[in-house]
Amino acid sequence: MNNHIALGVIGISHKTASVEIREQVALDEVEQKFAIQKIINGFEANGILILSTCNRTEFYISIETPSEKLSLIRTWLDEYKKCTYYSNTEISYEKYGLEAARHFFNVVCGIDSQIVGELQITGQVKDSYNFAHNLEATDAMINKLYNFGMQVKKVVRNETFLSDGTVSVSFAGVELARKIFNDLSDQRILMVGAGKTAELAAFHFLENQVKSINVVNRTLSNAQDLANKFSGKAYQLDDLETALKESDIVISATSSTDYVITKDLMSGISRKRNYEPIFLIDLAIPRDIDPGLEQLNNVYLYNLDDLNGIVEKNLEKRRKEIPKASRLVSEVLDEFQKWISTNSMSTIISKLKKHFELLSANELAKLKKQYPENGYQKEIDDYTQSIVNKLVRQHMKILKKNVGDPEKYQQQIELIFKIYEIDLE
Amino acid sequence: MKVFSQFLSYFLPILYLGLIYVYYAIFSGKKKSWTNRTTLFLSLLLIIHALEIAVRHIALKTIPLSTTHDALSFLAFSILFVYMILEFSIKNRGSGLFILFFATILELVSTLNLTWEPETNELLTNPTFAIHASLSIMGYTAMSLSALYAIMYMIQNYNIKKRQLGKLFTQLPALSYLEKMSIRSAFIGIILLGIGILLGHMEAEALIGEFWPKDIKVIATDIIWALYVVGYLLARIMKWHGKKMAYLSMAAYFILIVGGTLAIYLSETFHEFN
Repeated sequence: MNNHIALGVIGISHKTASVEIREQVALDEVEQKFAIQKIINGFEANGILILSTCNRTEFYISIETPSEKLSLIRTWLDEYKKCTYYSNTEISYEKYGLEAARHFFNVVCGIDSQIVGELQITGQVKDSYNFAHNLEATDAMINKLYNFGMQVKKVVRNETFLSDGTVSVSFAGVELARKIFNDLSDQRILMVGAGKTAELAAFHFLENQVKSINVVNRTLSNAQDLANKFSGKAYQLDDLETALKESDIVISATSSTDYVITKDLMSGISRKRNYEPIFLIDLAIPRDIDPGLEQLNNVYLYNLDDLNGIVEKNLEKRRKEIPKASRLVSEVLDEFQKWISTNSMSTIISKLKKHFELLSANELAKLKKQYPENGYQKEIDDYTQSIVNKLVRQHMKILKKNVGDPEKYQQQIELIFKIYEIDLE
Repeated sequence: MKVFSQFLSYFLPILYLGLIYVYYAIFSGKKKSWTNRTTLFLSLLLIIHALEIAVRHIALKTIPLSTTHDALSFLAFSILFVYMILEFSIKNRGSGLFILFFATILELVSTLNLTWEPETNELLTNPTFAIHASLSIMGYTAMSLSALYAIMYMIQNYNIKKRQLGKLFTQLPALSYLEKMSIRSAFIGIILLGIGILLGHMEAEALIGEFWPKDIKVIATDIIWALYVVGYLLARIMKWHGKKMAYLSMAAYFILIVGGTLAIYLSETFHEFN
C-alpha cells in the first residue's frame, strides 16, 4: 500500500544529526520558497510542505512513485545546500505513504520532539503549512495530511498527559508558585543577586504578570540596572530584611559562599509578615538560603536540585504517555488511510470505466461496420453503456467493502488491474 | 408513586458511586477526556436527586428533612449543589474527588436509613420550620466544606513541603485558594446556621413559649455556632494564616460532629421528630 500512496518525506532531525549539521541543512524562507517551486516544477510533485526548525528540516511531498523520485530530490537538495547530508542515509531519512503520514503525526503531537510533548512544534507546523498554502503549493494530499495532523494533536492533548507538566527549571519555579499562590498577579518578586540566572527566572514570572519585581544586590548600581528592566525597586544587600518583608516570592542566585538568607533572619521576617506564605527559590551553587528555614510555617523553599527533580519527573511522566499517544496516532492514521483509499478509489474506478468503455467502443465499431446506416440501432449503445455501468458498480462494491483493510484492498486493486491489463500507475 | 420513589432512593447511591468513579478516573489520569464532561454528570445527578426529594415530599406530604434519611440525603444534595457551583466558577476539578466522596458517604448512610412513613408531626409541615431546617442543613454543609478544604490544604501543604509532587499535588488546587475557600465556607456556614438557629428559636417561642428552650440539641448547636463565630473573629483579628487556620477549621468541625452526635444520642427532647 505504502508504495502506491503518493506521499513521501525526506528529513534530517535531532534524532539523526548534530546541531551543526541541522544548522547547515536548515532552509530560511527564501530558500524554502525556491525549493518548493523547484520540487513542484522540476520533479513533478503535486504538493509540498517544508518544516524547517532548529530540531528538524523535513520535506513532506505529495508525489507519484515517491520511492523513485525522493532519491532524485535528495541529490538535488545536496547540490542546493552544498552538502552531502541529504544523500547520507545515516543522517537523512526517507519514508513513504502511511509511514510518512505516521511520522508527520508523531511530529505534530510532540512524540518525535527532542523534549517529548513540547507544544512549540504545533505552531511551527501551522506556519509551514500556511507558508506553502499561500504559495499554492499544497494539494489535496498535503491539505488532508495537515488536517489529520491537527486532529491528532487535539486528540493527544485531550486524552494524554504527553504535554503536561513543565520541563524547564525556571518555569518549574513558576508552576510551583502557582500551587502556593494560585493567582500570581498579586505577588511581589524579589531577586537576590543581579546575575543572569535570577534574571532569566524573573522573566518567566514577568510573563505571568506578577505585581512587581524588585532587586537586591551587594552593588546598588547593578541592582538598579536590573530593576529598571522590570520597572521595580532596587535595594542594597543591607536592606535585605526590608526587601524580604515586602516580597512573596524570592529568587536567589548570588555568588556568595555563605547563606544570604538565614533561618534566624527569615523567622523574624515571617513573624513581621503575619506568617503570610513566602516562596523561596534558591538557584545558587553554593546555596544562598539556609535549608533549615524550611521548617518554618508558611515558608516554602526549593533549590536547584529540587527544581531539576521536578523537570525530570515530568519528562518521565511524558515519556510514559508515548504508548498511549502512539495508539491514538494509529487510530487517526487508519482514518487517514480510509480517506486515501476512498480518494484513490475514484481514480481507480474512472480508469476501470475508461477501460470498459474503450472495449465496448471497439466492439461496437465492428458492429457498426457490419450493420451500416439504418441497420444499426442506437439502443445498442445505450444497453452497452448500461452494462458497463453495472460492471463498474460491481467492482466498486467489492472495493468499498475492503476500504478498512489496506492489505486486502491493495490485493484486489492489483488483481483487477492485472485481469484487465490496466497500468497500475 | 412509592415504588418509583424507593427506586430513586436506592438508585441514587449507585449514581453517586458512579460519579466518584468519574472523578477518580479523571484524578488518576485514566480518562482525561472526561474532564470537560463533569458539569454534565453533576447536573444530571443533581436533577435526579432533586426529583427523588420532590417525589418523597409529594408522596409523604412532608418537608424533606424529617427523618435521618431525608436529612442526610439533603446534606449530600446541598454538598453536591455547592460543589457544582464552585467547580463551575473556578474550573478546577481537583477537590471534586474529596468533596464528592464525603457526599457519597452521606448518601450511602442515608439510604441505609431509608423509611416510608407519612409525616404526622405538625411541626414538620410548618413552613418556618422548613426554612429553619433547610438553612441549618446548608450551614452544616458549608462548615463541612470548610473542614474538607482545610484537610485538602494540609495535604497540599505536605505535598509541597515534602516534595511529593505526584498526581495528588497536580490535581489539588493552590494553597491560597484552599485556604480562601475554607475561610469563605466557614463564613457562609456561620451566616446560614446563624439565621437557621434564630428562626428555630423564634419557632420555639411560638410553639412552647420559650425563646431559649432547655433542649440539649439547641444548647449544643448554639454553643458550637458561638465557637465558630469566636474562632472566625479571632482568626481575622489575629491575622492567622495557613496551617493554623486549617487546624482551627478542622477542630471546629470535629467539635460540631462530636457535639452534635452526643446531643442527638444522649437526649430525648422536643427536638426529636420520629
